[in-house]
Amino acid sequence: MPAAEAPGRPLGGVVARWPSPATRLALAVSGAGLGLAWGGWVAIAVALGGAILALVAGRGRRLALAGLGLLPVALSSLALNALLPAGAEGVGTALDALARLLAVTLPMTLLFAATPLADLLADLEARGLDRRAVFVLGAALAAVPRAQERAREVVEAQRARGLDTEGTWPRRLRGLLPLVGPLVIGSLIEIEERALALEVRAFAAPGRRTPLRRFPEGPLQRPARWALAGLLTAGVAARVALRLAGLAPPAWLRPW
Amino acid sequence: MLVLDRVTYRYPGSGRWALPPTSLEVRAGQVVGVRGPNESGKTTLCLVASGLAPVAIGGELKGRALIDGRSTLELRTHELAQRCGLLFDNPSAQLTGLHRTVAEEVAFGPCNLGLPPGTVVERTEAALRLLGIEHLAHRDPARLSGGETQLVALAGLVALRPPYLALDEPVSRLDPERSAQVATAIERLAAAGVGVLVTEHDEELLARVCDLVLDLGGGG
Repeated sequence: MPAAEAPGRPLGGVVARWPSPATRLALAVSGAGLGLAWGGWVAIAVALGGAILALVAGRGRRLALAGLGLLPVALSSLALNALLPAGAEGVGTALDALARLLAVTLPMTLLFAATPLADLLADLEARGLDRRAVFVLGAALAAVPRAQERAREVVEAQRARGLDTEGTWPRRLRGLLPLVGPLVIGSLIEIEERALALEVRAFAAPGRRTPLRRFPEGPLQRPARWALAGLLTAGVAARVALRLAGLAPPAWLRPW
Repeated sequence: MLVLDRVTYRYPGSGRWALPPTSLEVRAGQVVGVRGPNESGKTTLCLVASGLAPVAIGGELKGRALIDGRSTLELRTHELAQRCGLLFDNPSAQLTGLHRTVAEEVAFGPCNLGLPPGTVVERTEAALRLLGIEHLAHRDPARLSGGETQLVALAGLVALRPPYLALDEPVSRLDPERSAQVATAIERLAAAGVGVLVTEHDEELLARVCDLVLDLGGGG
């Protein structure tokens, strides 16, 4: 039975010990938020920081895959903007959009590559987050892999009944249509089952849940989380204020 | 004693009674089986016995459903969970999917009650031991076989220490070997004094574990 401390998924290098899951979340969210809001050098710094941390933590491959996933979007955006009359300015806009996309994608990918979802939820709950909020967050984050699993089951079931889901693209698309109904209806039924399953596990009981795991952390992490939250709030507020005033970010923040 | 006295139930928004008038009793340590064709109301019977229908899902209940003398209508869902656990036929939907180990998954219910950590651990270990699955304690719940998942889901209910359990077709998705594991678990539960209501098509399971088998909508 796990008791005092969560081992977490082992991280490599210097980040093996210090950030608790909650601090990692604060770091990822603040980086992504600031990168998205400001773009330019801020976004580049966040993306680079994420990449360096990923390499140090031994998660470079996962991050590279996420970056590769953005390649089609990046290439099409660059091509489109280069062809438009805006010319060099258009390319700058496309590069800025790409930097923002990377700034959001890489820290969040690194967070979930280095932190098991169960650890993150347990840590948040142990720090006082409401059980319903924790469950909603967990269910939302687990929804995509769950939907993928269900889709795989439906595809296999339909294939077993003779549905052709391979071959040319038009044929594949035609093959997808009969999958939509079972997938949607199955997901709805499962949501209902899961809601009832929570009831039979006394999820609605009043009071605070018993935290089974604690994630010990040094004295600096709590203030660091508050500082990150403050930085994110101030950064986003400043960017919104500039936009409302019709001003561009300072030139030293814009590499293009 | 778990008592259903001429109960019948209609789901919210439905004009049809989903359960024919049914009466039965389940005593401590007794296993009562219920068989019936598809759509005969077996799942509904389990929902009514556990009190989730109508307490959690709404609808209309006629007749009386009593757990140790108290009407299920008087109880809230977390109180019902501690009086009559309900196991669904789809075990994977019964697990939260948010825990890294089987032990944490089983501990989910006791944690919800806010019990002291020592009590949670003790209940979890006892539930795993009772069902003979201590060896799964540190396994990832997402990587279990169907039979193991069903037993873990059952352990999650047992950890809440309800005196009664309603099992809705617990082996319908399992092969004979896994079904035998679940049958052994039911026998262990009954031996520990838990009253079990089990709906099932599997005649072999019913013959093996039940003290009494009823036909839904028919005679005993």
